Amino acid sequence: MQGIIPSIEAINGQAMNQLGLGSQIAFTFLAIFIVNIVIARFTKWKYIFLTGQAILWMSTMCTVFGYFAGFRGLTLIIVGGVIGGIFAVAMPAIAQPFVRKITGSNDIALGHFCTIGYLFEAWIAKLVGDPSKSVEDVKLPKSFEFLQDTYLSVMVVMVPLYLVTAFFAGPEFGAQFSGSVNYLVHAFLQAIQFVVGVYILLSGVRLILAEIVPAFRGIAMKLVPDAIPALDCPVLFAYSPNAVIVGFVTTTIGTVIAMFVLPSFGLAMILPGMLTNFFAGGTAGIFGNVAGGKRGAIIGGIAHGIFITLLPALLITILNSLGFVNATATDVDTVAAALLYAWIITPLMELF
Amino acid sequence: MFSFLTKKKTDKKDNEPEIKEPVINEEQKNELYKQIKELEENLLISSGEDRIKILNTLGDIFFQLQETDQAIQYYEKSIEENRTLGKAYTNLVKLYNIKRREAARAKDDERLQHYLNKMDMLLKMTKDEIRGL
Repeated sequence: MQGIIPSIEAINGQAMNQLGLGSQIAFTFLAIFIVNIVIARFTKWKYIFLTGQAILWMSTMCTVFGYFAGFRGLTLIIVGGVIGGIFAVAMPAIAQPFVRKITGSNDIALGHFCTIGYLFEAWIAKLVGDPSKSVEDVKLPKSFEFLQDTYLSVMVVMVPLYLVTAFFAGPEFGAQFSGSVNYLVHAFLQAIQFVVGVYILLSGVRLILAEIVPAFRGIAMKLVPDAIPALDCPVLFAYSPNAVIVGFVTTTIGTVIAMFVLPSFGLAMILPGMLTNFFAGGTAGIFGNVAGGKRGAIIGGIAHGIFITLLPALLITILNSLGFVNATATDVDTVAAALLYAWIITPLMELF
Repeated sequence: MFSFLTKKKTDKKDNEPEIKEPVINEEQKNELYKQIKELEENLLISSGEDRIKILNTLGDIFFQLQETDQAIQYYEKSIEENRTLGKAYTNLVKLYNIKRREAARAKDDERLQHYLNKMDMLLKMTKDEIRGL
């Protein structure tokens, strides 16, 4: 059995360092911005995707899977830019009917590449729930204090994971890797190293995005003054704080169920990613609540957790063949873009 | 150019960013200004939850009157004093977006960035609030 960590940061880090795709990812990132502006400027879909980090993850997946499909150089960047750019407009557009219902207006859109998961939850919620019985009528705690520190929440998952695995592997097997250090101490240090790695990578990403994104959005907003800005998922949190909490809890339950169930279908064991569960799960909860009320948000949330674990699991074989070690992507729209490359574009490329 | 991709001018469903507030007549306007005066007087002597309620109501009224700067001022004060998620947050995003659009149309880059940054700050505050920071 193979255990996989859902971490787009790890994929990004490996793609930049091991595969040497750093500059292609950066140019694809720029190309996605440009295609997004062109579509918004000249078509009826006026969505400008303003979540820089999400675009970086999309450009990572488009570059990696475009490379896998056989694209190189300028073609790799142009194809990635077009596919990523279409996603940057299409995802806010397909979520907009629900966003309109949630916000009561058409002023803002949702710019978060987990939209397919949100729609999946809304669809399930609509089937099983009743939107008139809102989760907002129930009294729930207002915050998640254990998620106060992003890296602490990553550590909460990683340390037990490494320690439990090392414990079951035993001291003899562990000694092969730990040398003179106690095998459990070594496992603990490895877990901390992972958390520190994510911290360093995200700090770098934020530093670069802080330089690029303001310039881009300034240009985008001037070229498309009547744009509908597609903003990061917390933009919806204030509309339905209880649904965020229900969404997080139920999505986590779903990811834990999927973690144990998927291996019995021959798929890898995907560990729950607490940050994705919080942000994507919380937002999905709002969609579930607006489509199917309390019941819809609960059942839809569990289904959402299973769904966002299943999609990344489908990528594992390809990611492994590309040299990625025990990691998979998280945001389901980026996974969908990757599957589009793997299941449609790559076979087409092989024909020519 | 690319006219085949553009939407017919009569259909505005997707591209209708304007806030459709009900049009208020002069009489209603005067009534609202009267309310504002009373609320602003009450604000000076109120505290705690009452004060937050008044701040939010003032924000709502100015929003209705489409006086965005004053509405922003009251909602921002409300969040500054009480960070509980609610209407102040959701209306502030809409108001910042209106100001952002005005700045874009006026090609005022500095003001555009100012309101985009304000939107970022609000999203960060929302995130922090729900995480209990």
